[in-house]
Amino acid sequence: MGQAKEVLLEVKNLVTEFKTESETVKAVNNISFTLNRGETIGIVGESGSGKSVTSLSVMKLIPNPPGRISSGEIIYHSRNNGAVDLVKASSKEMREYRGNEIAMIFQEPMTSLNPVYTCGDQVMEAIMLHQKVTKKEARAKTLELFKKVQLPRPEDILDTYPHQISGGQKQRVMIAMAMSCNPSILIADEPTTALDVTVQKTILDLMLELQRDNDMGIMFITHDLGVIAELADKVVVMYKGKIVEQGSVYDIFSNPQHPYTKGLLACRPPLNKRLHFLPTVNNFMELNEAGEIIEKTQSIQEVLKSAVVTKEERDAQHKELYERTKILELSNIKTYFPINKSMFGRAKDFVKAVDDISFDVYEGETLGLVGESGCGKTTLGRTILRLIEPTSGIIKFRGQDITNLNSTDMRNLRKDIQIIFQDPYSSLNPRITIGDAIMEPMIVHGILANNAERKARVMELLKRVNMTEQQFYRYPHEFSGGQRQRICIARALALQPKFIICDESVSALDVSVQAQVLNLLNELKKEFKFTYIFISHDLSVVKFMSDRMVVMNKGKVEEMGDADEICNNPQTDYTRKLINSIPKGQLEDIKASIDKKKIYMAEA
Amino acid sequence: MLKFILKKFFEGSLVLFGVVTVIFFLFNVLPGDPATVMLGQRANKDAIEAINRDLGRDKPLITQYFMYLNDLSPLSFHNADNKKSAYYLDNDKYEHVKLFSLGDGGQVILKKPYLRRSYITKRKVSEVIYETLPETAVLAFSSILVASIFGIFLGIIAAIKKDTFFDRLALVLSALGMSAPAFFVAILISWLFGYILSDYTGLSPIGSLYTNDVWQGEMLDLKNLILPTITMGMRPLAVIVQLTRSSLLDVLSQDYIRTARAKGLPGYKVLVKHALKNALNPVVTAISGWFAGLMAGAVLVERIFSWKGIGNEVFEALSKNDLPLVMGSTIVFALIFVVINIIVDITYGILDPRVRRAK
Repeated sequence: MGQAKEVLLEVKNLVTEFKTESETVKAVNNISFTLNRGETIGIVGESGSGKSVTSLSVMKLIPNPPGRISSGEIIYHSRNNGAVDLVKASSKEMREYRGNEIAMIFQEPMTSLNPVYTCGDQVMEAIMLHQKVTKKEARAKTLELFKKVQLPRPEDILDTYPHQISGGQKQRVMIAMAMSCNPSILIADEPTTALDVTVQKTILDLMLELQRDNDMGIMFITHDLGVIAELADKVVVMYKGKIVEQGSVYDIFSNPQHPYTKGLLACRPPLNKRLHFLPTVNNFMELNEAGEIIEKTQSIQEVLKSAVVTKEERDAQHKELYERTKILELSNIKTYFPINKSMFGRAKDFVKAVDDISFDVYEGETLGLVGESGCGKTTLGRTILRLIEPTSGIIKFRGQDITNLNSTDMRNLRKDIQIIFQDPYSSLNPRITIGDAIMEPMIVHGILANNAERKARVMELLKRVNMTEQQFYRYPHEFSGGQRQRICIARALALQPKFIICDESVSALDVSVQAQVLNLLNELKKEFKFTYIFISHDLSVVKFMSDRMVVMNKGKVEEMGDADEICNNPQTDYTRKLINSIPKGQLEDIKASIDKKKIYMAEA
Repeated sequence: MLKFILKKFFEGSLVLFGVVTVIFFLFNVLPGDPATVMLGQRANKDAIEAINRDLGRDKPLITQYFMYLNDLSPLSFHNADNKKSAYYLDNDKYEHVKLFSLGDGGQVILKKPYLRRSYITKRKVSEVIYETLPETAVLAFSSILVASIFGIFLGIIAAIKKDTFFDRLALVLSALGMSAPAFFVAILISWLFGYILSDYTGLSPIGSLYTNDVWQGEMLDLKNLILPTITMGMRPLAVIVQLTRSSLLDVLSQDYIRTARAKGLPGYKVLVKHALKNALNPVVTAISGWFAGLMAGAVLVERIFSWKGIGNEVFEALSKNDLPLVMGSTIVFALIFVVINIIVDITYGILDPRVRRAK
């Protein structure tokens, strides 16, 4: 790299506060970092670490009240005005930079575009705001941008409304919008978190390419270190509003200093190893009562070593497992949804969400179900519970055909089969205390004699999922995403089920929290002898959890077999694509991408 | 889009058919003999029978129902020859164009729906409605217009100035406006501005759109519109303020508003272009619902201000058991609701492209 790089942004001792009724919280507490031209800086941390607040502070989009930047400087080296302190800039000045020199893309492409304007109009609006061009020129430029971000049928998408295109395509429109005025800085706030891994990979590739072409500085905010391994030059690790570690990406990955960084690096499920449990941040550090970090002197390798399951252990366990009885048998399940109804409500066409799927699940097994969004895995999960009625096929539970069970019998059966949903935020009623929420299914199914006994049982369950008894009377909004998911797990456990379907149960969680929840699910399985069907779009998570794995694509089984076997030796292109798009964060890959960047720089 | 509109019209006509059926059977099982109502003290057996025969009331209920439907339908079947027939093509009743004959005096005609005649005044119900409905429409329209303009405006300001003194004031006043009963407010306003303060306001406590001047005959008197408009507009105004406020606050917290700001758009543009178009959907529903409601439910206000609208007419007809007028007006009210709902559905499509595709 050699030559000194042009500095774009210097954040110095930035403090951003939020006033709540009782106290003032420093969401960002005295942080400093520098971003150079042509460089990507990854800001990593779990939810609540202040990483998003940092990015919004730079844009000065902190909602005020309750938030405000209380001290520090954000020096931006502008194209025309030289160095300016954005903290002191007026709102009129800020508008000149926003979208023009500093652009931003957000986490939720689904909700970040205005539903009532076409994609083209929304990008054109940004162009016409900052550049003196006619509508026609803006349209032509938008079309060019759409081609550049590799949108399919760019001419059509100009006049398409956001709800008519997929999530990945929406994120491409957002990127086109951000790129429209050739910004010096692109702030990307978890741009791929809401997307499938396969889509994530294409978006990351696109960002890398755009950065090379335009020589931008990118601030990439994420909870997952793996995502930025091959993209970032520098990494800033944030924890509770402070920077705990920063350095070059290679240094961070090869030799992490802070225990929190170690935890973040270790908590992603590996594809090449089979583990008992996933290391979490807690394996590397503890908090004392004053909230100070106490380090445990353990390296990542040491922790991983203690967790590994050998091939012999696994084989022995499987031999015993597959001699047991089948708890669930699916034969030729089809679930079709009608589209294009005729005038009198008769369906003309169908979406074949689940198209002729058969497999068995053994007692005590964890069966993984993996595929991209829209492949039918969630529909299949709900069909098994008959929350959606199958169009044809037979579902047998413990040898009993439940396909035509009447609703009373089915309701009794549901006690034995529980489901844990994806979104811990919307699957709990905000007006019911969590204690009551866990108790409700027990009352419905008449489990235990009276409410006093049930309450005692709920207390036990809460403790079992690592929550406290005092939390019985709290409401869902007082809990974080990970805690809520544990509450949902406790609710499922309340009925003492034998069979649990986890439908993307950890997809909405940060990787560090995800690891904790996955470990909990495995501990509970051991303790209560559950059988799981584990549904996720993330192959590495499914692989970590499952004995056998079913890869689904377009409603059909693409591949089925031993989870390790599929990962080591995938048989179909689709499975290979899924495996390749998982960010692995391997040192060799990081090195290769750094070398690639060097070659590119030398050429330029 | 055309298919969508046609579908809405089809559904609307089904609703209307249902309403007609319910109204017919509802009013025909009510006690009360129209002949006695019409004849009053002159009633004797022969006269009563003659009237019942004329009205078709000597026939079974189901036949009467079909006769009523035949009268209402724009395309109908009649007998041109036999004066005794229940379906006799009476030129007094039907303003029609003959389409084709069926033989034996049978005729298929295209006509204005015939809502029959008032028992009391013997006037055609359609004439009465034709005369009074515009007055009600003027009043309802001016009320909803005033309520919408001020309501949306105040709602926007309350949302922008959330948690300030103005916002709280707007909320308190709109809560007051919503909870005040119409009959009370009408009397209060009429008395206060039309009587106590009439020297300053120059308004009268009662009055209609047209007044009979001794010298100039019937003339338009727009200032009579002011007090009833305020009275009727008050509750919709209060509802619209609150709805605009909450809907706008909801939209302003959406991600795409942050996107618009991140583009560098100035605040007013974010508000007008990106927020309002999304926020107005529920407001449009409320406004149209209220408008339809005002068309039909202005009875109390019209009564108190002696406004010569359809509400006032229905009130009198009800107290005199004048069934054709009551039934006719009710069907017209239903028609208004159906038409306004179709317009709202189409407006939705314009405001929100997601609705367009869903259909």
